[in-house]
Amino acid sequence: MIFASLISRPVRTLVSVLAVALEVTMILVIVGLTTGIAKESGRRIVGVGADILLQGPNSSYMLALSSGTLPVAIGGKVKSDVPGVKAVAPVLLQTNSQGGLDLVYGIDPVSFEAVGGPFHFLDGQMFSKPGEIVVDDLYARSKKLRPGARIELLSQTFTVSGIVENGKGARLFLPIGLAQEMTGAANKATLFYVKVDEGQDVDAVKTAIEKFLQGYKVTRMSDLMSQMAPSKIPGLEPFLRTVVFIAVAVGVLVIFLSMYTTITERTREIGILRSLGASKTYIVVLIFEESIVVCLLGVIVGVFASKMVAGTIVKVFPTLIVTMTAEWYLKAAGFALLSGIIGSFYPSLKAAKLDPIEALAYE
Amino acid sequence: MSKCRAILETVDLRKTYRLGDVDVEALRGVNLRIRETELAAIMGPSGCGKSTLMHLLGAMAKPTGGRVLINGRDIAMMNDGQRTEVRRKQIGFVFQKFNLLPILTARGNIEVARTIQGTARGDGHDEHLAELLRLLMIEDKMGRKPSKLSGGEQQRVAIARAVVNRPAILLADEPTGALDSKNSEIVLNMFRELNRKFKQTIILVTHNPELAAYTDRLIEMRDGLVVHDSNPVGDEEISTLVI
Repeated sequence: MIFASLISRPVRTLVSVLAVALEVTMILVIVGLTTGIAKESGRRIVGVGADILLQGPNSSYMLALSSGTLPVAIGGKVKSDVPGVKAVAPVLLQTNSQGGLDLVYGIDPVSFEAVGGPFHFLDGQMFSKPGEIVVDDLYARSKKLRPGARIELLSQTFTVSGIVENGKGARLFLPIGLAQEMTGAANKATLFYVKVDEGQDVDAVKTAIEKFLQGYKVTRMSDLMSQMAPSKIPGLEPFLRTVVFIAVAVGVLVIFLSMYTTITERTREIGILRSLGASKTYIVVLIFEESIVVCLLGVIVGVFASKMVAGTIVKVFPTLIVTMTAEWYLKAAGFALLSGIIGSFYPSLKAAKLDPIEALAYE
Repeated sequence: MSKCRAILETVDLRKTYRLGDVDVEALRGVNLRIRETELAAIMGPSGCGKSTLMHLLGAMAKPTGGRVLINGRDIAMMNDGQRTEVRRKQIGFVFQKFNLLPILTARGNIEVARTIQGTARGDGHDEHLAELLRLLMIEDKMGRKPSKLSGGEQQRVAIARAVVNRPAILLADEPTGALDSKNSEIVLNMFRELNRKFKQTIILVTHNPELAAYTDRLIEMRDGLVVHDSNPVGDEEISTLVI
């Protein structure tokens, strides 16, 4: 009966299924994008290969929000005076908003590679001349860049000298000296990546740095990863809750409208069922089951649509990452079913309350 | 006269509708007994209260006053849930406009009644259904939707749906009202066969005098009252009647 009803009203069924699919897609893609980008940022920072992150007092875990306030010389002092430190790499961060939003690392290649190992060049080489920049493969693909290509960044024109494998902190790398010159922060760095000697206890070295530079922020990289979890990012949870609320609201309204109109269309059918002895519960369950089937179909379509949308996003914007986890698949399905239940609640009660005689007389 | 059992009885049955500020008395004290296995026709002009009576006998509505006893149980005192159960277990309806579910096939329409009733497959129910379909000559129509059936065929499917759960009483409201004379005759003969073969108690409500020829008993109504009964059930005739 449920399937016969859905098939007999194909347009209504299709629109309802697509609306639920939109709800599921909206949840999965937006959550996948935000969590994907957050997780990928964390993965890239870990990919630097450091053990400890040294920042100025009151700095944010959100590196892009930090500014260059630390003297570069601190790095040398830490390396020479704190036992167990193998290498220290100063990094001056800049945020480029031309043609996107990108984090740019101003680095000293020697100390940076001493901390995390050498860059893996896929094409070209490290910057060596003024105005040269190194980009990672995802950025190069998204902007269709090759070595020798010119790009506008930070209100300047750069020439790409090389393309490296992604996962080394940022997607764009400049000489730290140039970065300092551009920002007027001579001999300053935003942060330092610290590598401890092999076999050294990272916590012991961290404590030693904290003693040496009192008031500075010293973080184990493994702790930083947990700090960068999507749930810890300021504003992300409320944002995701808002997205889910809007998506569920869309689902509820569509299911409500669909079921409400179907009750009106099927008044006579309900009268027939009541005359055959169908109880009010039977009618309520029938409407609920129908909306649940619509929602389940919507979930299936929504999951496929989400995968297609995610694939398209990654193809068109290679620097964007969409992470769709099993947890969120289940949550999206749950929200879709919830919207089906809420949306069909009133229509099902309305149907159950129909007087059989009046319903049978309905034309 | 041999003793019989009254399967249905009304006592001073009344129904008043409110239309705007006016009370309309559709039934003004109907007293009626229907014998088990009887095929009776309730006749009368439009507006005489036939359909209202049928709705009350079929537990579709509550009377304003009086009693409706089915197998001795007063359904006038029942709540909606209890009346629904009576409809499910004791009553079969056949309507003038067939009232088949257009989205289902003929088989689906019959199965829906079995699903609502919770009739298990087996236990002789399938054999009963097969016998019904043979009797109604619609075995080969089961895969068709109502829109692909003639009026007569639709009504026969509706009859099969109404009696598939072996209800105590089959109520038919103007069952031939939407049929041509040929199909009317077929359908009426089938009611006769159902009554004879399955001992099915049937009450036909009609304003068509020709229909009376197919029944055992003719009850005439006018202005909300029974004005003539061709074969009334006397007190002395009743063996077991719970009031």
